[in-house]
Amino acid sequence: MAASSTHVEAAAAAAPSADFARAARRHRLFGLGKGTLAYAALILFAVIAIGPFVYLLSPSLRQSYDLFTFPPQWLPHSLYLGNFGAVLHQTSYLRWGLNTLIFATSVTAITLVIDTLAGYAFARLQFPARGLLFGLVIATLMIPTAAILAPLYIIVSNLPAWTHAGANTYPGMVLPMVCSPLGVFMMRQFMSTLPEGLVEAARLDGATEFQIFRKIVLPLMKPAIVVLGIFTFMFQWVNFLWPLAITSTDSMKTLTVGIASLQGQFVTNWGIISAAAVMTMGPIIIVFLIFQKWFVRASMAGALKQ
Amino acid sequence: MSAVTEEAWDELSLSPEEYRRASGRYRHRRSLTGYLFILPYFVPFLVFLVVPVFWSLWLSFNQGGLLDSAKFVGFQNWREIASDSELTLSIENTAKYVVTAIFLVFTLALFLALILNRYRRGSNFFKLALYVPLLAPAVLVGLVWQFIANYDFGLFNLILTTLGLTRVNIFGSGTLSLLTIVLAEVWRGLGFWTLYFLASLQNVPEELLDAARVDGARGLQRFRRVTLPLLRPMLLFAVVIAIIANFQVFDTVYVLTQGGPYEQTSTMVWFIWEHLFQFQQTGQGYAAAVILLGIILVLTAVSFWLLGSRSRRRRRAA
Repeated sequence: MAASSTHVEAAAAAAPSADFARAARRHRLFGLGKGTLAYAALILFAVIAIGPFVYLLSPSLRQSYDLFTFPPQWLPHSLYLGNFGAVLHQTSYLRWGLNTLIFATSVTAITLVIDTLAGYAFARLQFPARGLLFGLVIATLMIPTAAILAPLYIIVSNLPAWTHAGANTYPGMVLPMVCSPLGVFMMRQFMSTLPEGLVEAARLDGATEFQIFRKIVLPLMKPAIVVLGIFTFMFQWVNFLWPLAITSTDSMKTLTVGIASLQGQFVTNWGIISAAAVMTMGPIIIVFLIFQKWFVRASMAGALKQ
Repeated sequence: MSAVTEEAWDELSLSPEEYRRASGRYRHRRSLTGYLFILPYFVPFLVFLVVPVFWSLWLSFNQGGLLDSAKFVGFQNWREIASDSELTLSIENTAKYVVTAIFLVFTLALFLALILNRYRRGSNFFKLALYVPLLAPAVLVGLVWQFIANYDFGLFNLILTTLGLTRVNIFGSGTLSLLTIVLAEVWRGLGFWTLYFLASLQNVPEELLDAARVDGARGLQRFRRVTLPLLRPMLLFAVVIAIIANFQVFDTVYVLTQGGPYEQTSTMVWFIWEHLFQFQQTGQGYAAAVILLGIILVLTAVSFWLLGSRSRRRRRAA
């Protein structure tokens, strides 16, 4: 009796623990399976994201006619650097790079100045029709360049001479791109979060509005300004439609327009194109790896994250 | 005026009249300061954004004007547009592109964000890797995809021939060309949307998920019943923003297909570009630009309405 009772007790005790062990094993197996699958998926998408750029290296290091051989060569037999030389000497690549730098930097610099001023006014200054004017800015927030391309082209071609603007000029490229409402919106949102008392205190101490802006508001705005700056620069250096419309001479093209023009109507030198793509992506990826935190923050800000 | 206020006035060195005038002067100066602060922005804003919008409307009743002077033609452009099947085709293509691209990129991005949210080890590396295509200009992305989809040397066809299959002429088929543009843009946008969704997922309160877990909800149930409803307002807003952004697809079309074959990949912006700068049929381009403007303005209004309803809900909850 005593023996059997122990037996029953043991069985009763063993059953759940066996169940438990089995469940735990299943869970572990299942968990491991899921984790492995998850990482497999992540690795797959990481390869898909980076792979094409790595693959570009292969055609950039080969003669163009090599691309058309059969069976296909996956890796170059010998390293051919001629494509890179051709990009530098046969195209205006460096000039395009310089144009892009001038274009994107100018738009960014002007945007930062005028957007912080306007953002501050909309957030902290009182003046008649403030709401109405800000509403106008908001209403135009998403208007695409494509929808106003023709009027922009006509206006830029007919600006007064002192602006030095027109087709194939830097002012002509830069000026229409400085008025993106998104920056004003971002700056106003950010400045509304600054404590009002700070500004009021300075005002009571007799500071002028511009002094308040420069000495008190601007230093506090630094993170927002950096974010807006990176965002604007990133947005403009990839800009294609407007530079394409306003430039026609080779020496005024930006990188995007120039690289697109390498794709000729009849004969396309794919070796040169891949080399130009590699030369463009290389530096950007390096800059990105150094300042990654800011890049991500800036691009998220662009999505009007509330 | 009560006695107390009377006393207060007496204590000021200014008479009420003087005080009113001084405060008026102050308010006037303050307004002037405000206008001075917004002036540097508003000059380019009016010249390069507000005026062009109305000018665009006006141009849709004109022809020419880019190289010569514009000529008023009444409703002719609109009649042409209404009967021109090419614009209908472009709008159709754009709609097809937008729906497919957003569906694909959102599904994949949500999937990846859920994984990254659960498996944190090494997630930094994967986030960076997914972000890399976003660094490239869309033009460059288009060229990269030439090296994938090209008939002679595209990676896709190389793999097919290596496997002993016949090559596919992707750019000879309208559907496949459009699909290539979709894939190129999805590839470019995936990192952005993954990070965007990841940020939103991290805002889902852990307590709610824990409570659901204690109540016996399994993974998929937790996602459907807790996470998804919480994400819905954000998702709606993201969809509208994505529609607005994708409606303007142009760069990849320009580099990959130039609208071909037979305008099968012509999108709205491509239509506008082609008619303004290649065909010299400016009238139709002007009218199409106004249609694009209308679509975007409606979508903008919807996005703000969504944002508004979100904050209204939040206020109610508080």
